[in-house]
Amino acid sequence: MPDETATAKRSAARKRGPDRITLVFCAIALASGFAVWLRDGPDVVMETLLASLSLLAYLAPQVLAGLVIGGFVQELVPREKVARRLGGKSGLAGLVLAAALGLVTPGGPFTSFPLVYALYVAGADIGALVAYVTAWSLVGVHRVLVFELPFLGPDLAILRFVASLPLPIVAGLLARFVGRHPVIALPRTPS
Amino acid sequence: MIAGVVGLLSLAALVALVTGLKRPSSVVPAARFVASQGSALALRLPVALVAAGFLGLLVPQSLVAGSLGAETGLSGILLASLVGCFLPGGPTVTFPLALVFWNAGAGAPQMVALLTAWSVFAFHRLMAFELPIMGWRFTAIRLIASAALPTLAGLAAGALVAFTGVEIGR
Repeated sequence: MPDETATAKRSAARKRGPDRITLVFCAIALASGFAVWLRDGPDVVMETLLASLSLLAYLAPQVLAGLVIGGFVQELVPREKVARRLGGKSGLAGLVLAAALGLVTPGGPFTSFPLVYALYVAGADIGALVAYVTAWSLVGVHRVLVFELPFLGPDLAILRFVASLPLPIVAGLLARFVGRHPVIALPRTPS
Repeated sequence: MIAGVVGLLSLAALVALVTGLKRPSSVVPAARFVASQGSALALRLPVALVAAGFLGLLVPQSLVAGSLGAETGLSGILLASLVGCFLPGGPTVTFPLALVFWNAGAGAPQMVALLTAWSVFAFHRLMAFELPIMGWRFTAIRLIASAALPTLAGLAAGALVAFTGVEIGR
């Protein structure tokens, strides 16, 4: 359960130093840098480092701008009101609303999954919850803005966005269908 | 390139200004969000970019182009869907890795399938957040409902490219 202490513990662990993923990537950077050094010599290593740093200088302001936009837009979404319109009888409109909400939810999984749980407690059905998570992870505007546009360029980002736009609704409909099976059906009230 | 960055920064400033004036109470939580997310990225992003820079030199381009190139069609889309499931971590490390594949010659529909698979299945996120917070029933239903999405997205992207005739620039 996403109680306050678990979240606090997680963010405390976050503050104590580099997380595991960062350390793993440190190791990958060192190992692959060493391999390039052995194969191509120190000049190529320096060149690659400089290229990575100039890419960072280009990406960092865009990432920051995306975070600022995400942070403020997040404050404009009225969460409690929305959850009431996402119940099991909300039909296709509920799925569309859930997908739209997922589309504008900024931030990483540590902000979105507690929100999914809150929507579940507030009465959203499995279809709406799955549509929400899928839209957030697949076509979340925040991530497209912060990462995809700067890293991969507008052509590929727009192509992927358009190709994926209907998919949260598809996943939501399938989840309503699958979720009826008694073996995995979600209990109506959280245990 | 520079114009795009300046435009994005101006948009951010505009959003912050308008929201801040309309709802002054939103400024502190928004700033807190930017600070916490930004500090998490401050170390991870440079490390991931350096790792991706070296990996880009080491990855054999012919292998990526041959197995994930645009002309590999459905088999490339299926392989990309599988690769995407196992990309580690969040967007800070995944997008530099995706850039390695893209620069090495992967096709646009294959890239769409790869990124969709990572978005939907991201194993690390599933274990660290979804299972503990939402439980196995929710996770199982979501995975079953999403299993075909990466392939669908890849096929849709291929159809869009073929139908509109747009060149996807690298």
